[in-house]
Amino acid sequence: MEQETSTVDFGSMLEARGVSRRDFLKFCGALAVAAGLSQAAAPRVAIALEKSVIGAKEGGLFPVLWIEGASCTGCTESFAQIETPDVGKIVLELISLNYSDVLSAGAGYSVELAKKQTIESGSPYIVVYEGGITQGFGSNTLRVAMETGEEILCHAAEHAAAVVALGSCAVNGGWMAAYPNPAQATGVQAILKKHNIGTPVVNIPGCPANPEWLMSVLVQVLMMGGAEALVAGDVPAVVKTLGLDGEGKPQGIFGQTIHDNCERRGHFENGEFVYEFGSKEEELGYCLYPLGCKGPQTKSNCGVTMWNNRRSWCIQAGSPCLGCCEANPNDPGDNWVEVNTPFYERHRDLHIGDWFFQPTVVAGAITGIVALALIIHGFGMKKSGRTDGGAPFEQRRAWDVKNPDKSIGQYEYSIYEDNDPVVLQKAQQEIAKQYEQATEEVAEAAEAAAEIEEGR
Amino acid sequence: MAHLAHYKEAHPLPFVITHWINLVAMICLIITGFLIHFPVSGTMGVARGVHVFFGFVIFINCVVRMIMSLFVKSAPTGGTRKQTADFKSWLPQKDNRHQAGAWIKYYLFLKKDHPLSAKLGVPQKLSYLLIPILIILMFITGLALWTPTAGALAGFTSFFGGAMSVRIIHYFGMFVFIIFMFIHVYLANVEGTEPTKLMFFHKEHGGLVYDPDKHVIVGDDNLQPRNE
Repeated sequence: MEQETSTVDFGSMLEARGVSRRDFLKFCGALAVAAGLSQAAAPRVAIALEKSVIGAKEGGLFPVLWIEGASCTGCTESFAQIETPDVGKIVLELISLNYSDVLSAGAGYSVELAKKQTIESGSPYIVVYEGGITQGFGSNTLRVAMETGEEILCHAAEHAAAVVALGSCAVNGGWMAAYPNPAQATGVQAILKKHNIGTPVVNIPGCPANPEWLMSVLVQVLMMGGAEALVAGDVPAVVKTLGLDGEGKPQGIFGQTIHDNCERRGHFENGEFVYEFGSKEEELGYCLYPLGCKGPQTKSNCGVTMWNNRRSWCIQAGSPCLGCCEANPNDPGDNWVEVNTPFYERHRDLHIGDWFFQPTVVAGAITGIVALALIIHGFGMKKSGRTDGGAPFEQRRAWDVKNPDKSIGQYEYSIYEDNDPVVLQKAQQEIAKQYEQATEEVAEAAEAAAEIEEGR
Repeated sequence: MAHLAHYKEAHPLPFVITHWINLVAMICLIITGFLIHFPVSGTMGVARGVHVFFGFVIFINCVVRMIMSLFVKSAPTGGTRKQTADFKSWLPQKDNRHQAGAWIKYYLFLKKDHPLSAKLGVPQKLSYLLIPILIILMFITGLALWTPTAGALAGFTSFFGGAMSVRIIHYFGMFVFIIFMFIHVYLANVEGTEPTKLMFFHKEHGGLVYDPDKHVIVGDDNLQPRNE
């Protein structure tokens, strides 16, 4: 083991870049953590890296095509900011970046040819896709070298061993797909599904994605046994190696919330909060939850991996988490820009058409209206004399009056029978009938009397 | 005095207890819910603990109440000591039939006399049928947001559009509870506090007697000569 790890070639490679052996092992430990393994896995990572780098000398580099979609190239920028000399650069040398809109030295025909050759070579390669894919305007907004954006992705993905959707835009549209989304932007997985391309997609959200996340995925894929599975097209093995969850995200990175690993969590539990920027509480480094921190619902290990070579991260720098890693590749609506704006509010804005509002405003207004209505109603009840036991009961259900044959109540048992309107009506009719009869009888009697008188 | 007699048989002791538990749990949940959403210095730990505790209490209470309704007997209407299985007066009854319009008209002052009713009038019955559904929805959305159970409910969370959506559903649900409580407390007390005294303290009041089999008012009971 000792001999293996101190191979002359590798050691001199590190030395040539000003990286000490100690730095390298520290980096391997961090990489192991970023990949969701324990620090104890560091030697395993080191061996894998060394083997790969040594292998690289023999020409076994894994080709990567880095394609820009509707992106701000922020993910590339973030990746490119890895400091040099840095062991990260050595790791980068385990891939052969055959095509990159931003970083390739070549341009025009020559890089397009390099891409074409990679795709048509028949040997496995990985696509890193950055940015959303616009479907609107015939996908012409992303037209490069006579191909539309959708075609570029599909052609590159079709023969690829895997596609890494890098950044929230590539995962489900991100900023590009935010309301009203006239370009109909969406993520890589949705486009591949639309065109029935079964290439496995590894989703790495973030705005930008942390370069170390991509690094850890590459390390896992290319060195920890993922490569063989990729080459064999064994999707379940790839998923298992990378520990992908149902959304195609590496669970070691996106399995827990920011809140779970937040350095200000103690202040949250103690109820110590920053309510206002520039306040005493902010100075004390209290929890940023009331300022709209999306940490409790955003899954990412930012607090562990941190940013810019592990110098700091958003919350350490004093900003509430904006939830930039919220991106569900299967649900374009679960887009971090949609669900996490306004950034400094606890809730997203809801909208009906172009009318935007906070849930509290609507819920509070409806509750207030109900309360007011009840107060007004109460005055009505008071005025109509119902507050002292309610109005007198109806003697017969209105429906029963109209449908006496199907009556619900058996009103003959009712205490109101005596003054029941139906009974009264019947009685009145009876009286009228009797009166009529009596009148007739009187008239008849009078007639008879008159006849008798005449006959006399 | 036009109301029906208030007899203990309307609210058997087990339901008086579940009602008390509901009241305490709901108030604690609403207060702590507000404290979680609009945090007040120093209260977060307690508020979350209390909120989770009473979340389980109200859910278990709801389930127990529904199971008990299958075998505990209660009066199917006001103004009677007759009893039937409680779930029958929770579901629509014959006494409710054709009375929805009458109730709405009564509360809009378009009908002068008081509609005849089952134990619950039509609007009340609809709201009480919704409450268990709401409690279950609140319980599930609450669990989906609570770390120890969030993982198991990840599919549920995705179905509703992510954690933010579930949070907003849970938040709106609380306002539905608040609105329900406003209306419930108002209607229960606007015509006199007798129903409340009966519900909470089992205090009976005399009034008209209703026959749940004949579906009409059949007498008057002032509760005086009860022992004769």
